[in-house]
Parts: sequence; C-alpha cells; structure tokens
Amino acid sequence: MNDFIPNFDARAVFVSPWTDTFATYGWIMLMGFLVTVACGLIGNYLILRRMALVGDAISHSVLPGIAIAFLVAQSRHSLVMFGGALAAGIVTTLLIETIHRRSRVKQDAAIGIVFSSLFAVGVILISLFASQIDLDADCVLYGEISFVALEPLVTIGGIGIAPESVFVMFLVAAVVATLVILFYKELLVSSFDSGLAASLGINPTIMHYSLMCALSVVVVSAFRSVGAILVIAMLILPGATAFLITYRLPKMMVLSVVHSALSSVLGVHLAIWLDCAVASAIVVAGAGLFLLAWIFSPTQGLIARFRPQLLPIEAART
Amino acid sequence: MSFRSAALLVLITLLCCVTPAEAAKISDVVETGTLEQARRFFSLTDNSLRYALFGSILLGISCGLLGSFLVVRKMALVGDALSHAVLPGVALGFLWNMTKDPVAIFIGATSAGLFGTLVVGWITRTTRLKEDAALGLVLASFFAVGGCLVTMIQRLPTGSKSGIDKFLFGQAAALSSQDVTLMAASTALTVILLVLFYKEFLVTSFDPVFARVTGMPVRLLQELMMLLLAFSVVVALQAVGVVLVSAMLITPAAAAYLLTDRMHRMLILAALFGSLAGVVGAFFSFLGNNLPTGPFMVLGASTVFGTAFFFAPRHGVVPRWWRRRSRGNRISRENTLKAIYRVLEDRGFSDEGVTLEELSALRRDTLVEIRLQAAALAQNGLATVDEPRGTIHLTPQGWRQACAVVRNHRLWELYLTNAAHYQADHVHEDAERIEHVLGEETVRHLERRLEFPHHDPHGRIIPSLREFDRYDAQRAPEKPSGYRQQ
Amino acid sequence: MHDTPRPAPPLEIHDLTVAYHRKPVLYGIDLEIPPGQLVGIVGPNGAGKSTLIKAIMGVVPAASGWIKIFGEPFKKNLTRVGYVPQRESVDWDFPVNVMDVVLMGRYGQLGLIKRPSRRDYEIARECLEKVQLLAYADRQIANLSGGQQQRVFLARALAQESDLYLMDEPFAGVDAATESAIVTLLQELKNRGKTILVVHHDLPTARSYFDMLLLINTRVVAFGPTDEVFTPELLQTTYGGRLTILSEVIQQVGSSAR
Repeated sequence: MNDFIPNFDARAVFVSPWTDTFATYGWIMLMGFLVTVACGLIGNYLILRRMALVGDAISHSVLPGIAIAFLVAQSRHSLVMFGGALAAGIVTTLLIETIHRRSRVKQDAAIGIVFSSLFAVGVILISLFASQIDLDADCVLYGEISFVALEPLVTIGGIGIAPESVFVMFLVAAVVATLVILFYKELLVSSFDSGLAASLGINPTIMHYSLMCALSVVVVSAFRSVGAILVIAMLILPGATAFLITYRLPKMMVLSVVHSALSSVLGVHLAIWLDCAVASAIVVAGAGLFLLAWIFSPTQGLIARFRPQLLPIEAART
Repeated sequence: MSFRSAALLVLITLLCCVTPAEAAKISDVVETGTLEQARRFFSLTDNSLRYALFGSILLGISCGLLGSFLVVRKMALVGDALSHAVLPGVALGFLWNMTKDPVAIFIGATSAGLFGTLVVGWITRTTRLKEDAALGLVLASFFAVGGCLVTMIQRLPTGSKSGIDKFLFGQAAALSSQDVTLMAASTALTVILLVLFYKEFLVTSFDPVFARVTGMPVRLLQELMMLLLAFSVVVALQAVGVVLVSAMLITPAAAAYLLTDRMHRMLILAALFGSLAGVVGAFFSFLGNNLPTGPFMVLGASTVFGTAFFFAPRHGVVPRWWRRRSRGNRISRENTLKAIYRVLEDRGFSDEGVTLEELSALRRDTLVEIRLQAAALAQNGLATVDEPRGTIHLTPQGWRQACAVVRNHRLWELYLTNAAHYQADHVHEDAERIEHVLGEETVRHLERRLEFPHHDPHGRIIPSLREFDRYDAQRAPEKPSGYRQQ
Repeated sequence: MHDTPRPAPPLEIHDLTVAYHRKPVLYGIDLEIPPGQLVGIVGPNGAGKSTLIKAIMGVVPAASGWIKIFGEPFKKNLTRVGYVPQRESVDWDFPVNVMDVVLMGRYGQLGLIKRPSRRDYEIARECLEKVQLLAYADRQIANLSGGQQQRVFLARALAQESDLYLMDEPFAGVDAATESAIVTLLQELKNRGKTILVVHHDLPTARSYFDMLLLINTRVVAFGPTDEVFTPELLQTTYGGRLTILSEVIQQVGSSAR
C-alpha cells in the first residue's frame, strides 16, 4: 500500500520536467495541450448544440475505422488514418439517423447501440489482428501520449522540428482554430437557431456534417495519444468549464484554450508524481479545474448559489 | 437523492467489513482445436466454463431487465455514464485488500457508479450545462480517475497479475464461483424487486407526475431503480467490461422494444436476448482462444437488434416496406378494376369482356402496361385474360371489388359535394385517393348520411351493395362478364 | 376550520407563490373552490395555469402559502384527487396498451406491491366504456388519434374515482367529437357532485362549458360564476394592459435578488 502513492518529491515533480527531462516532458505537455485545445474548440460547439454524446459516439466508433484502414492499406500514414476515421464518423452519424428515423427507438438509445457495436468490432479486430495493427487495447483505453518524445522528428530542410504526431496534431489544431475563427458567425447562428441560419442562407445540414467531419479528424488525430474514451473528456471539459464562468461565446473559446493549457501542464506533473497514465492524469487535472470552476464561479458557482437571497421566492426551484 | 446517498453510505460501511479473502483463481484454458473447444464449451464439464456460462446468462437477465426501463425512459446514456463511472470503484475495491475480492469490488464499483449518477444530477441542477454534457463529462472524468488508479495498481508488484485489466474489456472465463454467486444474488434481488414493484416501476416510468399524484414514492422508486441499475452494471462488469457494459443494457432492450407493445413482454424478451447475447459472446471468445468477451457479447446483442430492426413484424423496416408495397399493388389493381367497370358502364354493360385496347385508351397507358395490369388481376383471381381475343373478363370476386371501389369513389364525391359543399369538378382527385381506404363501416355511414343515393355528382349510377351479389344469381361463375343493368 | 359545521371546501388556497428560476409564475394566490362546480381556469400563455394545477398537487414546490384539499394537505387526501395531464407530457411510444394506462388510475387506491384485482379491471372497463374506447382496450397507445389519447387519460382519471379532478388542457388538439364527448362527461361528473378544475385555452368556448371561471395572470384576476366574470373589462385585465406592469415589476424584484 505504501508504494501505491509514491512519496512526493517536489524536485522530481516540479523542476526536472522543465530541466533535465524537458526534452521528453516538454513534447508531452505540448502534445497534451494541442490535443485538448483542438478537442476543446470543437467541443464548445458540441456543448452548445447539445451534441456532447454524439462526440462520445464518434470517439468510440473511429476505432474500427482506423483498424480497417490499417488492415486495408497496410500503412499507418496519417492520411490513411484520417480516411478511415472520416468514413467511420460518417457511417456512425448515418446509422444513428437511420435507426432513430426508421424505427421508434429514440436517439439516445440509437447512439448507444451504434457506437458500442462499432467499438466492439474495433476491439475484436485489434485483438484478432494484433500483429498487423499497430494498436493495442491499452492504447485504446489510456492512449500512448508518453511515447511521443520517442518518435522520429519530422524534418523540414534538414532541421528536425517536432515528433511526427506532435507535428500532425499541431497542423490539425491550427486548422481547427482557423476554421472556428473564420466560420465563427455561421457556427454561432446555426448552433443557436438552425431555422434562422437556414433563412440566412447557411445550410444547417452542411454545417452539421462539416462539424462531424472536423470532429472525426480531431478525434482520430488525438486517438493514439489519449485513446477512445478520454477524448470525450477533452471534448467536453474545456468548454464545460468555460461555460460555467462566462456567458459569451468568444470568451468561452479563450477560456477553453486556457483550460487546455493548464490541464495538460498540471496533468503531466500529476502523472510524474503518481507514475500513472499521462493522458488519464491530464483529464483528472482538467476535471479538477472543472470542479474549481463549479465551486467558485461568480455567477453559477456552488458558493454563489448559497449566498443569502433577498426574496423568499428564491427558495423555489423546479 | 437521499436514498442514493444512503445506499452509498451503507455500501461503504459494508466495504469496511470485508475481510481479506482468498484471491480468486483465474483458470487458464488450454489451446485446442475449434471443434474440440466447442464441444468442451457445451459439455459443461469444465468449472470455469460453467461459471462463464451461468455468469453470461445472469448478466444478460439483469442487464436486459434494467436496460428496458432505461430505453423506455430515454435514459440510455445514463447507463453509459454509470458504466464508465464504476472504474475508479473497481480500482478502489481492488486496493482494499490488494486482491480481486468480488464483494469489495462489487461494493466499490456500485458506490462509484451511484456517485457518478449523483454528480450528473448535481451538475444539471446547479449549472446551465445540459444533461448530455454532464453525462459525457462525468463518464470520461471518472474513467480517467479509474485509469490513473488502474495503471498505478498495475505498477505494483502484486498488481501486474491481478487480473484488473480483465475488467476493461471483460473476460467471462475469469469468473470465479464467488463472482457467480454474487451475480446470482444480485440478479435474484433485481428480479424479485421488479416483480414486486412492477406496477410502481411501470407507472413512474410512463408518467412520473401522475405516479406522484397517486401517492407513490416516486423519488424512492427512482433511486431504487438506479441502485438496481448499478448492481446490474457491476455484475456484468467482469464478463463484459467497463467499456461495453452499456451496450448490454441498451441493445437487447431496444431489440425487445421493437418486437412488442407491452412492457412485461418487453422485459421478458430483453432478458432472453441479453442472456442469448451473453452466451454467444462467451462462446465465441472461448473459441477464439480467450479473446475479450465483451465485444463478442455486444456484437451478439447488435445482431439481435439488427434482426429486430429489419424484420420485427410490426415495427421492422422490411415488413413496413412490404406492407407499403402491397398496399401500392392493391391500389393499382383497384384502379384497373375501376377502369374495366368504366368501360363496361360506357357501353351499358352490354358486351362480355373488355379489350385491352379499350382499357389502354381509357387509362391513357401503353398496351404493355395494361397487359401487366391485367396479368396482376389474373394472378389475384380477379379476372381472366382471353389471350387470342385480347379481352379481360372479371371473375365474380373481381366484379364485386370493382363495384366496391367505384361505389367508394362515387359516394365520396357525392359526400364532398353535398355535405362539404365542394364544387363538383374539384372532387375527383380527392376521391381517387379516398376510394382505396374507406372501410366497410365508413361506407355504410356515408350511405346513411347521404340517404342511399343512386347517382354521383356527375350523374353516374352508384352501384349499391345489393347489386354486388346480383352477379352471382344471374350468371354462372364459369362465364365471367360485366354486369348487365336491368 | 374543523369546528365549523360547513364541510371543508374541495380546494382552498391561501397566499400561494410559485417561482421558476427565481421568476414568480404565481404570486399571492387566494382561492376557495366550492364543491360540485365545473371551473375553467383561463388566462394567457405563461399566466401560470398549468403551474397552479401542479402546485396544487405538490409537484411544483410553493415558495409561500398553503393549499388544502378537503381541509387537509394534499398528501393526506391523495386518493380524493384525480389528474389529467397534458397529452404531450408522456411518451406515447411507451410499450403499454390502453387498458394498462387506465388501470394506472387504480394504482393509488391499491397501494404498494398489490396487483390490480378483477374488480379494478371491471372499473377500468367501465371507465373505458364511458369514454367510448372499450373496443380499443388492447391497442398500443401510439395507435390512437389525439382525441382518443386524451380520452384514455380521462378514463384513467375516472378510474381514480376521486372527488376533485384537475385537468390540464383536456381540449388541446382534440377533434370536435371528442370535445363534445368530454364536455358531456364533465357535466355528468359534476352532476354526481364532483368538483372539476379545467385549464382551458379557448376563450369563446370557455363561456359555454363552465359554471365558474378563474381568470389568472400571475395573480387571480377574477373568480366567480361565468356570467359575472366573463366581462370585457375583466378579460382585458387578464389578457393585456395593466397586469403586465405588475409582472414586470415582480420580475425586476426577482432578478435583483440574483
């Protein structure tokens, strides 16, 4: 039991990741930040559109997409993976729609059925073809973010820039950020009121499917680092935390970026101290930040709620 | 709320009473040929196999029963959140005395799951976050905490062979006799409580406000259901795994939902499907040399659901499509019959049979098309086709149907003009659709309402019910022909 | 109150205030409904009509004031109150048939665990007969028309065999035949001495359907016999004009408390 929680060594936890072992942990922190920020930016819109659980579904169902893409193309090139994941994402969305349109099964059950079936297919594939697919069950569950520093560097003009997955994640995050900024008003309008959006000439269906495609790409690029389940936390936590603090979308986006940075840095330190899975630790740190926001938020925090009220009517709630 | 908190407290107290128990043995199954494996599976000689089989059946029953309530209450994803939230509890239960003690893990996991659902409730009640975000958040955050704990356990010298990783994707073969006993107890409790409180659970699920008005302890019942749900998730945990338990809740129940319109039948079917999926999953994972059980069980359940989705007699896609198609066919047949009647009527029912050319002229269709339509009539015994002369002759049954549809059409036209004050030239289109759907009862009602009319708004005669049968009296059935007016 | 020879009124409300999210929906409601009356509750959208019904049943917590049913708190007199919810409040795809739903009306009398007896089935059948749905007893509830669904709810309330009925928009979205059937049924109930409160959204028919009218818009605007209450002035007060100022002020007070 004693060795379960290692002794807290301040130097090892707080200093060395920034000095001796920075070459390793620096990349991990950067990767954690990039993953969380890309997920978080998309996640803001999932929360506003009440589609958080579609994110859940897609994050599970990219697994068979990746596995099949591996098996067919025999390559782990990023583009192959993106292709597989996009296909899986679209298939998921379509299947959910079909089930709940064509039968009396409601949408929530349809989501549950579709993603669990696809995920099961994925798990079976990776267990059957373990030798051919460069993924294992642990990676699916916890991610392998701690290995990023071991990857070969991507070189441009002979200069090593970044480990491959960090580089790809950087591109994805940059593209997501650009898109979210460029299409800010379209996303805002179509999330808020799809009828209004249609009358303004913004096709809500196209917005919906574009968001799903972006989601699939983000999820698949984050997949190897954080796995299928933790990615849901990365999608929801930054936005949810920001949502507790501010009412305005631009501030919400900025705050979710701050949340991403803090949670990845804190998470890595936590993982060093406890010697546990890094991606899980990042999520635990993010959840901790959410908890703080929940307690201390000036408008919706638990403390703010229990302030004495002026009217007796306050006592009434639904 | 209070009940769930109390349940949590009791469970945690119980956890303190758990004494370090002997570590359950995970029997390893040796590798042999597929057929041999299959034979071994069903011969039930092997203890671990027997446990795996019983365990799968038990988990199928309890998940199917509780899942049915989740599906009808549109709470499917609560099951998902709950099942992921148990992971830290599994780890804590394991840490309690560093063995895979089923009771400690059961209590830990149930507590964590219940705590997760409590947090979802708190978040939705105290913040602006909607339920979906709260569910996703709790699901993944709890899972992350569990992930940290599990990796920390696996780092320990005793942890690496603990079998805790089996809780993630499930391994039915790792079930011990203690596990199965616990599963049996929990499933029995679930079944007993559901039978005792069936009517209460039914009404609180259908209409909670009404249930409350009739004085039922709705809150308590809902908390009880959550507790049972947590039990069934935890019971299924070892065989199906944390990640996929929710599918065993939702999928068999959703399949049952498509097959029946009564709650008690749905519960029975869901329990059956759940056990079936469980056994199939255990079997295939055993055949595949102890692959994880969970995914196979889930695929078994998905197959059942897929079958129900496509072939359920009332709600299935294929039967519905088939019904639509046969309705379309019937409508096209009735239209042909009507056209034949019209041709006969135009010439005062004087001649026997109608030529294909006459029909094609009236319906403005090609001869090929008319020939197909005539063949369809012949196939249904409504008409005979005289090939050399190129004429169609109605059979008695065909005659009756033709009269009926013409009568429907003209009655409806008359009704629209007389009772609904439509213009006479506006009613034909509407009658074209209505004529195929008017039931016997409505037609009688219309006739009474219109005082047994003889002529439609265009001045044509409406064939009356009595005239339908006159055909038989006048003509020998083997000489089919049109109806002759007297 | 128990000392008076007069029996307790079916419903008595004193200074009831109900708020949703700190915004008052009902404010200082005082009301006493005499027995054997068919009362229509009328008011504009968001006036708190349904909330009043829910507050009476204790489904929505009251911020202040008290409510008595036949002189006792609601909890003590549960079985004397029958309830017809809005049709949209339940999922009509739920796997139950018409008979199951009507039997639910008997559950309150049955108490926990006990199963419906043969007699409960008989009562349910009689109630279905009264709403002319006996032929549909075995139908799944999704395969009914809107009017039939409403009548199923009505039959369920009849099966409760209560003395006070609370009905939330029973006329919403039903066909003319159902509407007149419901009116006949309400009259019959009234003639048997039951008290019925009906939330109603259609002013023109309100006049002919009900003996008494309760006009509300956050406050009670008027309550009395239909002929006395159905006046242009009172309706004007209910549906527009002055009261909006009151509710605005109330809302301001409410939001300053945040």
